[in-house]
Amino acid sequence: MRTKDNSRIIASVETVAKQIVLIIIALALATIFLAVSGYEPFAIVEGIWNSLTVDIAGTIRWMTPLALSGLAVCVTYKAEVFNLGVDGQIYMGASAAAAVALFVPESLNQGVSLVFIFLAAMAAGAAFAMIPALMKVYLNTNEIVSTLLLNFVAELFVEYLVTGPLRDPSEGTNLNASEILSENTWLPRLSYFQPSTANVGFYIAVIVMIILAFVFYKTAFGHEIKIVGANPTLARYAGMKPKKTIFQVMALSGMIGGIVGAIEVTAVQHRLLTGFNPDFGMTGIVVTLLANNNPIGVLFSGAFFGAIHNGGINMERLTSVPSAVTDIVTGIIFLMIGAKFVLPRLKKLAAEKKSTGKGGN
Amino acid sequence: MNIAVISDTLASTIRIATPLMLMALGGLLCDRAGVFNIAMEGFALVGAFAAVACVQFSGGSVWVGLLGALVIGALYSAIFGLFVTKFKANNIIASIAMNTLGAGLTSYLLRAMFDVQGAYAPENINKLEMIEIPVIRDIPVLNCISGQSIVTYFTVVLMIVLYVMLFKTKTGLGICAVGESDVAARTAGIKPELVKWKVVLLSGALSGLAGAYLSIISVSQFSENMIQGRGFTAFTIYVFGASHPIFASLVSLLFGFAEAIGIRIELMGMAIPPSIISMFPYILAIVALAISSYMRKRKVQGVIKVKKKKEKLA
Repeated sequence: MRTKDNSRIIASVETVAKQIVLIIIALALATIFLAVSGYEPFAIVEGIWNSLTVDIAGTIRWMTPLALSGLAVCVTYKAEVFNLGVDGQIYMGASAAAAVALFVPESLNQGVSLVFIFLAAMAAGAAFAMIPALMKVYLNTNEIVSTLLLNFVAELFVEYLVTGPLRDPSEGTNLNASEILSENTWLPRLSYFQPSTANVGFYIAVIVMIILAFVFYKTAFGHEIKIVGANPTLARYAGMKPKKTIFQVMALSGMIGGIVGAIEVTAVQHRLLTGFNPDFGMTGIVVTLLANNNPIGVLFSGAFFGAIHNGGINMERLTSVPSAVTDIVTGIIFLMIGAKFVLPRLKKLAAEKKSTGKGGN
Repeated sequence: MNIAVISDTLASTIRIATPLMLMALGGLLCDRAGVFNIAMEGFALVGAFAAVACVQFSGGSVWVGLLGALVIGALYSAIFGLFVTKFKANNIIASIAMNTLGAGLTSYLLRAMFDVQGAYAPENINKLEMIEIPVIRDIPVLNCISGQSIVTYFTVVLMIVLYVMLFKTKTGLGICAVGESDVAARTAGIKPELVKWKVVLLSGALSGLAGAYLSIISVSQFSENMIQGRGFTAFTIYVFGASHPIFASLVSLLFGFAEAIGIRIELMGMAIPPSIISMFPYILAIVALAISSYMRKRKVQGVIKVKKKKEKLA
């Protein structure tokens, strides 16, 4: 029993160490990149340091949607469904949240209206996620491409809403946005971090993480997801229904995506507008991959990407270094995770050193 | 609708289809060689940027821009090639990484090199003259073929060349063999890695050219994320076109036609909001994807049924 526990600890320490090595390599490459293009080389490191110390509030603001998007992707990856449509789910959730928030009477209690808003957003996200799920199950469609294409449809749908039915007529032509929501539909911001937009969504992210961790590790459903992901044929022989599982994970993912949209609308922007989503869903993929699809780890890697994103914004404000450099860091981490070559290489190197060392003795 | 309008719509169909066709041709080669490539989006974005940068630094030469896009598109795809062949990276993740990296790199370089945000137009650009074909340009409707850019004609030639290469030569057979089975191809003396390298680089170069078409031939500027999912549409196109160069090209014409009709509707001022019209190509792509995957599924099931029948008879 003891040894088993030990091996588990060693394994998790190893994973964390691997993630840190990946991050350091990516940051080092970005630093070289900055130096080559003639900027202050350590700007990115400074930016991240800044976002961990002075501007921790900004990091919390960004980590909330990123960690939640990571969780949304994580659920489906467990079942080997590559859902790249979290962005679309976010747009749909945001649309539903804004529509409901503009519809509820101003006299309604804040808690009640928020419950309505979040339920609507979750339903919209889940319904949108059902389209690729149905196509995958009944038509055998590749969900990667269908979800990617649906993202554009959802983005255009938001554009349609804010230029058409939900448009704020008092705005000029340069801003496409809905009216500002009435205050009883606002999700509270964290008063400790005023005046930043860090909000209660952070607690929601933690709660969602705990629920998912419980589902994955302590329930039969979580086990089923894992087996369907590992081997659908085996799952079917064991009396499970892989098709049903695909629907379930996609619905779960859609709900979480919807929550992200609702948080962005009700807590951060207080209105629906175009371009509120800087590809949270895409970054969510890296967030969950970096955490090895472990929901608890997703919270931490979400925090890391939140710090990077916020660091980029800080950096652009303080120095002239463009914040797009953070996308480059994300891309590099992405590539290295895909290849899984860093750690095995290092291990091999270490092993070689060990053996040569022994030879020397 | 009079004839001039029809011919105009068809001409813009061809203009819209050209970059899609280029990306789809590169992508289908990858597909044939068993590389899952949805990184065309990123390749094309880098190509579009490279084209504008080359035009700027050469003092306005579009030719240098096109060449630069080809070369830099191929160089950028070499990263993908390296990770896919050498490090055995997951093709899907590597593709998404290339798209993210492409978006990041181009907006970063936009700031670093030209000190602008969002979009950049080169100071001086000598736009290429469109090529008029003597007899055809006087025939009504058919004259949509005349007056296109050199890239479009190059694409048509390329389509035929790839068709011949893929189905009539040993090289093409090698590509398909690698796609069928790495191991079997290796036994037959083909180097799968080398084949994969070649198709990835070619797809990078062609996607780069597609990007250049969008940035320096269609319009005269680079703007962030200007590919707008065309890379994913190109994927749908070659899946729908069964990875066949000629079918895929016809499908891209269909997509071009859908978009051209959309633009036409917008110009006519019908009461459909522009954002709904812009959804049309994506929805068409989704429907096409659904149909083609359903047909593939049916085909596989059909094969299984036939096999079972034969087993019963035997």
